Amino acid sequence: MPSNKKTMIILSGVGIAMLGLGFASDPLYDTFCRVTGYGGTPKIADANLTEIIDRVVTVEFDSNVAQDLPWKFRPDQRRMDVKLGQSGLAYYTVENTGDEAVVGVANFNVMPIKAAPFFIKTDCFCFEETVIQPGEKLNLPVIFFIDPQMDEDARLEEIKSVTLSYTFFPTEAGTMPPQMTATATN
Amino acid sequence: MVALPGENTPAEPSSYDDDGKPGFFARWFYSTNHKDIGTLYLIFGIISGLIGGFLSFMMRMELADPGIQFFTNEHQYLVYVSMHGLIMIFFMVMPALIGGFGNWFVPIMVGAPDMAFPRMNNLSFWLLPTALICLLISFVVPGNANGNGFGGSWVMYPPLSTTGHPGPAFDFIIIGLLAEGFSSIFGAINFITTILNMRAPGMTLHKMPLFAWSVLVTAFLLLLALPVLAAALFMLFTDRIAGGTGFFDPARGGDPQMFQHLFWFFGHPEVYIMILPAFGIVSHIVSTFSKKPIFGYLGMAYAMVAIGVVGFVVWAHHMYTVGMDVDLKAYFLAATLVIAVPTGVKIFSWLATMWGGSIRFTIPMQWALAFIFLFVVGGVTGVMLANAGVDAYLHDTYYVVAHFHYVLSMGAVFGIFAGFYYWFGKMFGVMYNKWLAAAHFWLFFIGVNVIFFPQHFLGLNGMPRRYVDYPEEFAIWNAVSSYGAWITLAGVAFFFLMLIEALILNRKRVGDNYWGEGATTLEWTLSSPPPYHQFNTLPRIEDNAEH
Repeated sequence: MPSNKKTMIILSGVGIAMLGLGFASDPLYDTFCRVTGYGGTPKIADANLTEIIDRVVTVEFDSNVAQDLPWKFRPDQRRMDVKLGQSGLAYYTVENTGDEAVVGVANFNVMPIKAAPFFIKTDCFCFEETVIQPGEKLNLPVIFFIDPQMDEDARLEEIKSVTLSYTFFPTEAGTMPPQMTATATN
Repeated sequence: MVALPGENTPAEPSSYDDDGKPGFFARWFYSTNHKDIGTLYLIFGIISGLIGGFLSFMMRMELADPGIQFFTNEHQYLVYVSMHGLIMIFFMVMPALIGGFGNWFVPIMVGAPDMAFPRMNNLSFWLLPTALICLLISFVVPGNANGNGFGGSWVMYPPLSTTGHPGPAFDFIIIGLLAEGFSSIFGAINFITTILNMRAPGMTLHKMPLFAWSVLVTAFLLLLALPVLAAALFMLFTDRIAGGTGFFDPARGGDPQMFQHLFWFFGHPEVYIMILPAFGIVSHIVSTFSKKPIFGYLGMAYAMVAIGVVGFVVWAHHMYTVGMDVDLKAYFLAATLVIAVPTGVKIFSWLATMWGGSIRFTIPMQWALAFIFLFVVGGVTGVMLANAGVDAYLHDTYYVVAHFHYVLSMGAVFGIFAGFYYWFGKMFGVMYNKWLAAAHFWLFFIGVNVIFFPQHFLGLNGMPRRYVDYPEEFAIWNAVSSYGAWITLAGVAFFFLMLIEALILNRKRVGDNYWGEGATTLEWTLSSPPPYHQFNTLPRIEDNAEH
């Protein structure tokens, strides 16, 4: 029955396409998060070219370290008040308490999620791998601003504070995910 | 044999035994006959049901009192929880409903001699025991530091399923589920091709019996959802290899939440995969025993299509608590509630079919009516849980456990038993003892309600899922729930007594259409059991025929 064979080929194609879509979801999801700021992924820009407006938002800083990484990681300031559009410079201190040099990479997140699309970083230690020698202490800067367009969105009227959170994970040198470095160099 | 002009055409062999059946081994192990494969699926479903049922019985015994009684530690309990879920879903409900009744009755109902690809059908079946063996092996190989087996629940979220279970136990589960997944995908291709291409002359899609419709929709859901699960499992597999990929590992740019999206993109259609064939079976039973054609046939068929389509865009209501945006929650909330509309169409059409009908409360009708009642209970709690705000409170509590057991353990399983008693005489040629079957029904009905109804109270009071122990305040309803497990066990015992009585001891033969007027689909035009090869001359469906 040739028509049965044809149907089977079409249906197999559908199955294989769904399998492919399953795998493709990984880069698609990643791109989607980076483009839209969905899920608390902050945006990245070259420079701050926006105007400063009068609304003040408190930025709170949070830090975490993966279980198997012997690092101490603290923000130098707990919170900072910035006007929308104004660039802020914050420092984190990280110290290697272990007895080996370790390469770490930081992941970041902004809460509340709906504010994430307006939280823009122009420079961050999280764009690169961080190498720390045993006992060494580093000061890590992050430069950011909050897009004044946030003021125009009624849904974000209630936002008085935004939390920027980092988590350091151990990694091997040179294995930083390409999409992270690629976005950083844009 | 070609009849020469002028000769009398020889009559078709009418005796059941005169059909060149192969010997025992070739018949059951190389089988390409859809009815034999259907029987194999049903036997396989019963065996898996016993294993999965044993696991849940042990869980109920453990939870009968506070403290840890039977299990050595939390991990071992969670292994039972995980394996109960996986085995019941993939190796009991799906094989019985789709593989068992689907293989048996879809070709007959659409007037086809067999499935489109009989050998692929054989492959679909034999992948399943292989898969089940992989799952059973995972019980006895190391999972993590706390013991053997995989305790990450049927949802298999990383990092618990990656770094949380470094041992090979979870690898065996991945292999088993991949085998099961491919078995289901091949089965789905087979069903769709059979239904689309091999219907008898005059059997248009809009005249096709509702069970065939339900399997068609289910097969499409399988074909679209299971490859996504396969992809997610492949990614877990490579993530687990040291120095492998980092799809779900945040240290390497991955996102564990993405696994949840992939899993539930498969997982939500999966719950409709388990319930839609039961919808189809119940439609036939309600129509037969009301002696009326089904009310709103086209609405019933397209309600299933609608449930299937909308089922693909509601998955994140399983993930309200991951911290998603409020707009996204609002969307998934609304989309989920929309599913209540086609489901309501089905419930009201069943009621309208019975309305004014000449109802007979036979055993299958009792199961079907219980199905409708219990599915409505589970559906109503589902509507509650669909509300993101309510779910924040009830997420991962026993309320959710009660909800999905009302739609699965009582919905899908009651659908399976309804179909089993409806078609028992047709499949095996003998009739069961009414009293044993009634004892099975009533004990099972009371038992599962006693198990799961109190779990609503436990959940509303905040008892979380997936813990081996609980505080004293939850003791009473947990004890009641565990008594229910004993009642259900007694019901299962009567099921096996019924089988022994009917198949071995008594063997009371039945006629072609033992339900009489009201049973109108094509299987009732054949002998009981049907000839080994049916429809050597294709049946012709008249334009004015009922569905």
